Amino acid sequence: MEATAPPASRTRTERLERIWKEPSGVLGWITTTDHKRIGILYFFTAMTFFAAGGIEALLIRTQLIGPNNTVLSPAEFNQLMTMHGATMIFFFVIPLSTGAFGNYLLPLMIGARDMAFPRLNALSYWIFLCSGIFVYVGLLTGNGPSAGWFDYVPLASKTFSPGPGIDFYALGLIFNGISTLAAAINFIVTIFKLRAPGMSINRMPLFCFAFLAVSFALVFALPPLTVALFFLELDRLLGFHFYDIFRGGDTILWQNLFWIFGHPEVYIIILPAFGIATSIIPTFVRRRMVAFPLVALAEILVALIGFGVWAHHMFAIGISTITAIYFAGASLIIVIPSAIQLFAWITTIVTGMPRFKTPLLWIIGFIVLFVMGGLSGVMFAAIPFDQQLTDTYFVVAHFHYVIFGAAVFPLLGGMYYWFPKVTGKMYYERWGQASFWLTFIGMNITFFPMHILGLDGMPRRNYTYSPDLGWTGLNLIETLGSYLLAMGLVVVAVNLIVSIFRGEPAGDDPFGGDTLEWSISSPPPAYNFAVLPTVSSPYANWDEEDRKLDKEKLEQGIEVLDQGHETAASTVVDGEWDEILEMPSSSPWPPLLAIALAGIFAMVLLKLWLAAAFFAVLVGLVLVAWHGGEPQEA
Amino acid sequence: MLVVAGIIFLGTLGLLIIGWLRRGTPGLPFFGQSERANVGLVIAFGMAIPATVLIALFIVSDLYVMGQTDAPPADQTELKLTVVGHQWWWEVRYPESGVVSADEIHIPAHTSIDVVARTADVIHSFWVPELNRKIDMIPGQNNRIELYAERPGAYRGQCAEFCGLQHAHMAFQVVAEPKASFERWLESQSRPAAEPTGALAERGMELFDENACAGCHTIAGTPAEGTIGPNLTHLASRGTIAALTVANTPHELGRWVRDPQSIKPGAKMPGLALTDADFHAIVAYLDGLR
Amino acid sequence: MSDVTRSMEATAPDPTATVERMRRSMPSGWVGAILLVASEACLFGSLIASYFYLRFDASSWPPDGTPAPSVVLPLAFTAMLVATCVPIYLGVRAARVGAVRTAWWLIFLATGVQATYLGLQIWLFVEELAKFTPRSSAYGSNYYALLGVHHTHVAVGLALGLWVLAKLFGGRLTNYRLNAVRILGLYWYFVSAMAILVVITQLWPSL
Repeated sequence: MEATAPPASRTRTERLERIWKEPSGVLGWITTTDHKRIGILYFFTAMTFFAAGGIEALLIRTQLIGPNNTVLSPAEFNQLMTMHGATMIFFFVIPLSTGAFGNYLLPLMIGARDMAFPRLNALSYWIFLCSGIFVYVGLLTGNGPSAGWFDYVPLASKTFSPGPGIDFYALGLIFNGISTLAAAINFIVTIFKLRAPGMSINRMPLFCFAFLAVSFALVFALPPLTVALFFLELDRLLGFHFYDIFRGGDTILWQNLFWIFGHPEVYIIILPAFGIATSIIPTFVRRRMVAFPLVALAEILVALIGFGVWAHHMFAIGISTITAIYFAGASLIIVIPSAIQLFAWITTIVTGMPRFKTPLLWIIGFIVLFVMGGLSGVMFAAIPFDQQLTDTYFVVAHFHYVIFGAAVFPLLGGMYYWFPKVTGKMYYERWGQASFWLTFIGMNITFFPMHILGLDGMPRRNYTYSPDLGWTGLNLIETLGSYLLAMGLVVVAVNLIVSIFRGEPAGDDPFGGDTLEWSISSPPPAYNFAVLPTVSSPYANWDEEDRKLDKEKLEQGIEVLDQGHETAASTVVDGEWDEILEMPSSSPWPPLLAIALAGIFAMVLLKLWLAAAFFAVLVGLVLVAWHGGEPQEA
Repeated sequence: MLVVAGIIFLGTLGLLIIGWLRRGTPGLPFFGQSERANVGLVIAFGMAIPATVLIALFIVSDLYVMGQTDAPPADQTELKLTVVGHQWWWEVRYPESGVVSADEIHIPAHTSIDVVARTADVIHSFWVPELNRKIDMIPGQNNRIELYAERPGAYRGQCAEFCGLQHAHMAFQVVAEPKASFERWLESQSRPAAEPTGALAERGMELFDENACAGCHTIAGTPAEGTIGPNLTHLASRGTIAALTVANTPHELGRWVRDPQSIKPGAKMPGLALTDADFHAIVAYLDGLR
Repeated sequence: MSDVTRSMEATAPDPTATVERMRRSMPSGWVGAILLVASEACLFGSLIASYFYLRFDASSWPPDGTPAPSVVLPLAFTAMLVATCVPIYLGVRAARVGAVRTAWWLIFLATGVQATYLGLQIWLFVEELAKFTPRSSAYGSNYYALLGVHHTHVAVGLALGLWVLAKLFGGRLTNYRLNAVRILGLYWYFVSAMAILVVITQLWPSL
């Protein structure tokens, strides 16, 4: 609160601060239920996994720098390429976008004081951490999974992968799925119920629409993966026959279950990035998003249609032509909502007055790379084209353009954009721009030649290649590009780390942001909002009258909600005020539950069934303790 | 497709450049600050134009081209061939003539060949990029693909579905030749193995049958009847060994037989503890199997 | 503002009933439970879809040597479970108006019948294991996996039921506990619906 605030306001905010402040120190962080702290925990953990996945990538590229190279053995290469994919998808991009950005920003954008289920939120984080460690114990003990990130059977069956690598992978992902599902449910309930009264659905920022879409997609996409992995582990650990063709099982059952998850997963990866883009663009071009309702609808349609296209990953396995044609058609339809969003963004940029600062640069880069990745993706919907180029470097190029270019670039832009809000400091703008250009150029040098290599017949997942195939030159270029790309990312990291300590104070709203998080201090106070924010549009921070009204409400003690650890609950569609909720504060149960659950999975991996049952009992006890205390006792 | 993609990409880039050039001026060129024009642009470029392009792409590639490139019915092909994928080599069978070979497929040019693609273990994928699409080899399935070579020549194929440690070294050769020369090749392949010439080769044959070799490999007309590894009856007629990993010369063959793991680590073929002279003899024998 | 309640302050049956009457949309916990139920329904959907996927290509189903499933007992047991939806529904309704003792006895009755159901199903499960196992065939794998997952859900429901009974014992109804009761109801409707789908799938070869 500013020193110049009127005395009554200051008294109220001090009271709120006392109510909401969590203990400092390590214990405070371990027992936190504050969505902002949880977001920060997610951020650092996800970035650590990003570094791990990045090192795996650099090792792969170094092995491929020349033909018949011996930097990595085939066994090492296969483990690293599997872990690279798994790490980047499950332990980096999803946790960063949903766990870090989503957790930190969602309550702020909707005018709430926390997520709907704060302890469940903490649990999501601790399970994420434990599941990541679980899978990496496999790799670091030389028992990494090595059947690729989509883990096809029979290669992944006990017969052809006898070691525990696949078990680490499958059990680790089932475990991780609990975290992601809990987070998705938390987001949906928060968006539906905890919006500030007055924020009807049509006054919700587009970022929230993107997260609503992502969360619904997760709720329906995760179960098929869980079932696929469950069947795999039953086959591997207990001798079941789901995938065993000699006993009535089916190899392709795995592929269907996996891709029914796997395709929505890629839209889950990209939708938060769309949300970040739609936050950064209005701020930096100083105008509202063009065709707001169309963009909101498009975000939801992408998630929805994404469930109908999974077999386009299976065009080469011998499916009937009519089936292939259906899936190709559906895959083409999904281009439309993406194109709508793309042109809404571009039109907004053209009709606005853009300031090409670092965050916007990353979004421009994102648009360029998304168009390229999208175009190569559309080519795959041409079935004959797919049947030549699937499983080659052409598809590796495609998905790196859409995942790195279109999902990660907005995340990097978002890091710069919200850095001042989270830390209260400003980053170095010139270094920010340099980091963008290094990464953008490095990325293109690394991944563009892969289109050509794919057309030239180089298959993916090959640990080496022969010098007489003509692939040597491009591989060399790609590897050098990857080193440049890594440098760009290092500059991002150094810029942000140094700025935490030496950056200029940023103030509440250095960029003229359009959403509510810019209306509070940087970093935000523990209680987020002193009063229920007055909301009349999705660009709440640009509505100056409303923000003035908030100051008056605070001075007069209206809607301050300081009788306890309180936030408001509203009706789902119209956002009419319905209840005042008492939120839980710090709790040790989430990390303890995560550890107990980890125990179950570890014991199952080791086939120590009695020990697993013991941990299950422990889980029950922690759950009893968790639900023992009720809000009125908080 | 590349041209259309190029136009779309350059168009997008162009719009972004316009955004940069006009960064001081709000609104669109020509249309000014009309919100309706903005939304109209989004609908035109985001829905109408993509829909048109996509429908065209769908009709051309997924209906027309697919229709043209479907595998012909089995009774309209002139030669049938079965290829079985193994970790990490290719078993090739000509059912009508009983020929069994490995890693090298000969076909007559200008002829429609029906290839049945199967697997003995994990999923592999049969792919000869210059001749046709890839087709996965799935346990329990008999997927079919047509091979048709316009011109005689050697076409490289490779496994295109990750299948384990040596997926990178699982390639094969399709040799398309004029019909007469194909018939000669087929005929010579269907004869039993050549007798060893010279004492060294005879010693080699003895060693082959006494040691583990015969347990995995077949050499037609000899006691060696193993089916775990490739058929070696006419090994010396092939251009490469170990699924196109190394050239088929006595030197490379010697390296391979002595220590397969040094060339293809993880391959199912073990190294044997034999003397240099023994290996020399075995290579001499194998080198005579034309 | 005056018609907005501080719901956590309702720590007795009457205030709880008042809060319940005045609220205009479902409580957060209930919305979260609906989403969890939706996800679990997808889980069952995937299990059942796998069953029919494997059956589609099979020459004989069940495979030769495996007996076709018996029909009468599974159907009877399922009817027993689905019937508990009635006391559950009435119990939830009673709790919502603050009639906590009525609610307690109805939930107690339902829990007892559900526990009996689970016991009988486990007995049947073990009996059938003597005839064929999950390792006999893919049919066996899917059959037992589907039933195992369903029974686990029933067991979890029983644990929830016992928890609710413990918390409501002695008439101690609060807003928080009322939400728990409503979620319990939702959970059992879901499990009953899944029970119907599971038993149809289980008995498919004999129907």
